[in-house]
Amino acid sequence: MLLGIETATELVGVAVGDAGGVRATSTVTGRRRHVESLAPAINHVLSQAGVAIGELNAVCVDVGPGLFTGLRVGVATAKGLAQGLGIGAIGVTSLETLAHGALDGGWPGSVLAVVDARRSEVFVAAFGRLDPVDASSMVELEAPCRFAPAELARFIEAAPWGGGADVLCVGDGARRYAADLAAVKGVVVAGPTMAAPQPASLVTLAAARLAAGSPTLGAADIHPLYLREADAVANFAERSGSRASP
Amino acid sequence: MTVAGADVAVAGAPFAAHRVLGIETSCDETAAAVLLDGRHIASSVVSSQIDLHARFGGVVPELAGRAHVDLLTPVVAEALAEADLTGADIDAVAVTWGPGLVGSLLVGVSGAKALAMAWGVPFVGVNHLEAHLFASTLEQPDLEPPLVVLLVSGGHTFLVELEAPGRYRLLGQTIDDAAGEAFDKVARYLGLGYPGGPVIDAISAEGDPTAFAFPRALPGATYDFSFSGLKTSVVRTVERHPEAATADVAASFQEAVVDVLVAKTMRAAEHVGATGVCLAGGVAANSLLRSRISEAAASAGIAAYLPSRAMCTDNAAMVAAAGWWRLAHDGPSPLSLGADPNLFLDLIA
Ligand SMILES: [Zn+2]
Repeated sequence: MLLGIETATELVGVAVGDAGGVRATSTVTGRRRHVESLAPAINHVLSQAGVAIGELNAVCVDVGPGLFTGLRVGVATAKGLAQGLGIGAIGVTSLETLAHGALDGGWPGSVLAVVDARRSEVFVAAFGRLDPVDASSMVELEAPCRFAPAELARFIEAAPWGGGADVLCVGDGARRYAADLAAVKGVVVAGPTMAAPQPASLVTLAAARLAAGSPTLGAADIHPLYLREADAVANFAERSGSRASP
Repeated sequence: MTVAGADVAVAGAPFAAHRVLGIETSCDETAAAVLLDGRHIASSVVSSQIDLHARFGGVVPELAGRAHVDLLTPVVAEALAEADLTGADIDAVAVTWGPGLVGSLLVGVSGAKALAMAWGVPFVGVNHLEAHLFASTLEQPDLEPPLVVLLVSGGHTFLVELEAPGRYRLLGQTIDDAAGEAFDKVARYLGLGYPGGPVIDAISAEGDPTAFAFPRALPGATYDFSFSGLKTSVVRTVERHPEAATADVAASFQEAVVDVLVAKTMRAAEHVGATGVCLAGGVAANSLLRSRISEAAASAGIAAYLPSRAMCTDNAAMVAAAGWWRLAHDGPSPLSLGADPNLFLDLIA
């Protein structure tokens, strides 16, 4: 049995399930109270699912990119559970979780996941599917990256999976910059239900990977994917005229 | 076993914990420790991030938060291994939930809750300041209250009367910089690097503490402190005497800080009729402060307790000690506990 922890955006989500399906989920939104909400939500979802904590075989967590605070709460909790229970952990990105939700929902084309990175930037990755009916056959077409929303249109038009083909844009970044995106030929901006990565998608995706033989990681080997260095490091590099490692 | 551990960590019921795992991530040390029966330290592991922050001349909150996420798992594993225990042996998990850097605190709080849930044991949030007060007596539990504790660190400077465990009366505190902050600022100005406390302590040994008469702020009846004027005074002195030896400036500065700390601590001890004085916090590792407070207490005929240097700086054994006591008196904390960057001691009138 797999526990999923989703705290990459303002949504605090927990789900329990396995390859046979998701048994219980809980989502709380918009309160920025990740640290207060997460542990009680885990207990709640486990009890809803009728699963004892000791029955968990692995814990999967959204490693980002997203809100730094949320990521730290989610990843620290996943690490603690993996370490305390002596089970493996699986890291899934917010972008693939978003895309999986869209593909699972039946979208036949490519998916561009766009997470609002604040400060006029977005985190982006593109996905497609190998099998037209199996959402778990999702493949990454464009690795996670970060840029200004104004560059989104050019980015999609120039991509081999874009350039007029059907592209569904999901995520809170897609909602925020919907006007820029909708101007691109072939692009559809998903509704608010696909704005945040969902814990059920996280568990479905991780369970499929486990079933396909992907190994889990140890608690110490799961790390948040920040995709942006700390301000102090960036400022320091600028002052000293050198480029700090990302 | 209860379903999904839903009944774990019910707040309110007192709990006698034999083996407590303590976790500390409030600033730039990631620490874990195992404490037996509230007083015997089975292990205490501290991973300092000093090197990570040194080039910025101070703790960078975002870097600290990131480092805690990476360091907590191996530090907890090491604390268990050093104590020759496994998670199944732990009876409770205690963690600092404030005060401190919020992005760092929530890493420890999240990790501690998860471990407590996994092991099916109580979870308790600890006030970092109270943990420092427990550190001041942890190595010498037979000290009789009332005691006066001087807590001096990079973030805090205050004098408190410890009437009994959990019963604290605030006597005075800094109205501006913390003492440790003053050490950092002066060290940076003198080009001595970071952190300032140890380097000023070391270089002062070669300097003349009477070379410059720096001001002693807030003399007289108050137990409050002020250190922000001292740095300005150091800057002005160096501008006026560019030829002055750095060691003399550092030694004179340290002399001024220690003078004020010792005078106020001893006057407070006399005022409340304390049987002894204790030091706590990172600045309590300063060698001049330690020798001066010992001399002053000896001549006043009261005890002076100087925790080991490892117990002065941030560590998790003190968190486990305070957590053990809080569990026994107030019971566990709810799993909905957050992180409070501005938490202060719960004071009695
Ligand atoms: Zn401290």
